Amino acid sequence: MNLRDKIFIRKVVAAHSRRNFLKGAGAVLAGSSALTMPWQARAEAHGRERKFLFFWAGGGWDTCAVLDPHYESGDVDMEPLTQLSTAGGLKFTGGEVRLQTERFMARWAPYTSIVNGINVHSVGHDSATKFVLTGTSASSYSDWPTLLASNGRYEYPLPHVVFSGPSFPGTNGAAVVRAGGGTLLDLIDGSIIGQADRAAPLPPPPADSQIDAFVRRRISDYAAKQTGLGRSRADALLSNMERSMELEGRRFEAGLDDLGNNVLDQAVKATELFRLGLSRTAMIRIPGGFDTHGSQLPQGVMQDNFFGVLDQVFDHLSRTPGQTSEFLIDEVVVVATGEFGRTPRLNGGGGKDHWPYGSMLVAGAGVNGNRMLGKTDAGLIAEPIDFATGQPSGTGEMLAIENVGTALLELGNLDASRFLPGIQVFNGLLRNPR
Amino acid sequence: MRMKILTVLLLASCTPESEEADDAAAFELLSPRQQLIRLSVDLRGIHPSEVELQAIEQAPALYDKFADEWLEQPAFIERTKELFNYRFLSRTGDTYFDIAQRDLSNVGDAKMGEFIANEPLALLEYIIDNDLPYSYIVTAPHSMANPQLAQMWDMYYPEDSRGWQPVIYKDGRPHSGMLTMTTMWERYPSMGGNANRHRANAISKMFLCDDYLSRPVVLNRAAVDQLTIDPENAISVNASCQSCHSTLDPIASNFFGFFNYDDQLGIERTMYRPEMEEEWRYYSGKEPGYYGRPTSNIIEFGEQLAKDQRFMDCAVKTVFEGLTQREITDNDWSEVQPHANRFAETGQNIRELMRSIVKSDEYKAATVNNVDRAQEIATVKLVSPAQLESIIEDKTGYKWTFNGRDGLTTNDMGLPTLMGGIDSRSIVEPSYTPSVGGLFIQERLAMSAGFYVASTDLALDREGPARLLKFVTIEDTPEASPDAFDAQIRDLYLQLTGIPLPVDATEPNELMQLWKYQYSIEADPTRAWSSVVSAVLRDPNIIFY
Repeated sequence: MNLRDKIFIRKVVAAHSRRNFLKGAGAVLAGSSALTMPWQARAEAHGRERKFLFFWAGGGWDTCAVLDPHYESGDVDMEPLTQLSTAGGLKFTGGEVRLQTERFMARWAPYTSIVNGINVHSVGHDSATKFVLTGTSASSYSDWPTLLASNGRYEYPLPHVVFSGPSFPGTNGAAVVRAGGGTLLDLIDGSIIGQADRAAPLPPPPADSQIDAFVRRRISDYAAKQTGLGRSRADALLSNMERSMELEGRRFEAGLDDLGNNVLDQAVKATELFRLGLSRTAMIRIPGGFDTHGSQLPQGVMQDNFFGVLDQVFDHLSRTPGQTSEFLIDEVVVVATGEFGRTPRLNGGGGKDHWPYGSMLVAGAGVNGNRMLGKTDAGLIAEPIDFATGQPSGTGEMLAIENVGTALLELGNLDASRFLPGIQVFNGLLRNPR
Repeated sequence: MRMKILTVLLLASCTPESEEADDAAAFELLSPRQQLIRLSVDLRGIHPSEVELQAIEQAPALYDKFADEWLEQPAFIERTKELFNYRFLSRTGDTYFDIAQRDLSNVGDAKMGEFIANEPLALLEYIIDNDLPYSYIVTAPHSMANPQLAQMWDMYYPEDSRGWQPVIYKDGRPHSGMLTMTTMWERYPSMGGNANRHRANAISKMFLCDDYLSRPVVLNRAAVDQLTIDPENAISVNASCQSCHSTLDPIASNFFGFFNYDDQLGIERTMYRPEMEEEWRYYSGKEPGYYGRPTSNIIEFGEQLAKDQRFMDCAVKTVFEGLTQREITDNDWSEVQPHANRFAETGQNIRELMRSIVKSDEYKAATVNNVDRAQEIATVKLVSPAQLESIIEDKTGYKWTFNGRDGLTTNDMGLPTLMGGIDSRSIVEPSYTPSVGGLFIQERLAMSAGFYVASTDLALDREGPARLLKFVTIEDTPEASPDAFDAQIRDLYLQLTGIPLPVDATEPNELMQLWKYQYSIEADPTRAWSSVVSAVLRDPNIIFY
């Protein structure tokens, strides 16, 4: 990297603004055609900011199937052919029907924390989803990935990409991009206008860019005349205009022609978006229905398959060069959870019903790995813990989802008290708490 | 919590004069032209004509007359249905059953899903059309159906009729508007130990704007143990549980005639079963009621619900928030109270409520003078997907359809949700902040519509007058006809955005350069004009209003 590039990166970091960035880029580019492209420089700057990959187990996964084993208890029905396994400091449900889980834990335990006994406040699917992802039940609150994406130090063209799964944009809708169904890609590459009943040709790229620049200026002039909330909305339009221009320019580089059809492809694509500085957070739904009232049998299979995917994702993260770290694994945080847990005992139909204590897997950059955090007793009910260590404590407090969520915000270098004032952060999850 | 405070405030009998004086200076208003654009987009989904805009510039007092006229037009009802769907969330597109069970395969799932979703919204339309009180939505002695829906849900459809008509179900159920619609209880199902509680909360959310699940609940260890061993007993005796269930469960008990979740029955399980009405005895054990008053049937329940002050406040909240694109806060009582009063005085007339809101200063505001409130009140509003579609179609004649289905009013392609709209299922609240997906939608729609305009208006065999490109022909170039180009581009802005360019505007020259550049690549004046029109269609004055 030459000196001019370094100066440019410093300017980008100082600007904290996409618009200032564009102006700066224009000025620099005018002086040299051989200079690093602006997004390359920005991508380097972005590497200093942690990215987050969320996996969602819709329906409510059974915490005992992997993350919270209770073989010691006669009050918890554990799956036959499974056994208590350990890897580093982690204890989990393993055995001959959990080979993929065993492999993941054996390889990635140092990066991984398991958080058990999280009170999610509800056993209704919709409300628990809202609680787990936002820490509240209020409609105006954004979910954790949206907050992280919209409050980062830098701006991203696709701040939070929802490949699949739930999303609560709250008041930060501009930061959320829904990638489902492939329509977004068709919009980015313009192919959608050829799919319409009255199709039209695309303008050639140079003319297209000229139109974009013209429209951008019109929006900028419009925004300058607005005040208050109107100004905020107009600024969001301007920011997204710039994001759309960047996406059109980088769609080949980012491989945006295909966002993947399965959870592994989508996860790898998400990490690519992170690496290129295009996105900060992503949400992917874990395949399968975890709402196993009728039969508990699919739980173990689905979770073991997921850990197989997770193993490959971490393999990819560990081999892919990062921006400021040697590898992506030191820049990305992976979070896997569902809306709640399931009852300790099987019901009359051989399934398990909803349970208000959930478990979460958090792994990757900045995570206090190799640890079991939080605890449930032999009846699968949470015990009080010391928030600093995450370990059971008679003088501790009950762990709730908002405590864990605010810890995720802190992992993303956000001051959690700005978003959920008065909530105690679960520092036990953080390798280096404030 | 906010709604509760609002309710208290709405009940306050008067507004201090000093507050009214403050309000008078609270806003700087849009120009008459911009006011009329906002009003037209909200009530009709299209921009006003230039004739209408010139009229209001001459006489700003015409605003009220335009509002009165447009409130009588069918488009206003469609807009109202859109706003109330944000509350009812019936437009899921689901058919809930295989439509072949009712020999409706020829209709198709997509169309049938629309018909099903429209059952409650058609009743809303009936109420507005007939100037009935909004309370009729939960007291009507009938439902609404077209022939296909009547066949699907097994209703008597009047002979020799067409379209949407008042109907009753064949299964002998009591009728109480939305409270007895099969569509609603398929949209909000309940099974097993839930015992209609999901439905009770849906009623609370839809008609009282009160979500039980948003109430903070603290359960101690003993309560959790109790819930584990015997949930129904714990709900009945634990104080934390009772804080919600003491009122929720009696509401739920009204609906056991609809409590049938035997999937083996297929579509027959939608039948109302009088013999199930007493099933509450086996679940919550709570007698049917409404907030402490016993109810003997759903009709009585609907009457109690309609008399609740919160019922009226919730309707006001729904319309106010929809039109102002913001959430009501505790600071809003002075703005909202006059509208609530008007709604009450006119016998819960939705049209009058809308009239009151669109004639208020806040609605017409360009700037909020109070700095503290400037970030709460939306002086710039974002068009909904449906509004963008109708604006573009009205201006250009181009309709964005895919396989014969609207791109922006159906969720077949996922476009409305990408633009910030809802799907009534997983995305239930609209976003009023522009998204990158919305930007791409406007861009691609503008390209398509721009090409359509250029290729039809410049066609040598065109029949009739040009729609937009009236000042140029396919032979003209910027070099040979600069004045025609200048006039054409200025007219495009006027026709498409409603806002004229200033005399010294640089846009005509910039777009002429764009035209030349495009022409230099393909030597095709149609493509060059297509680009110019699309650039204007992407103006912020189209996506904002």
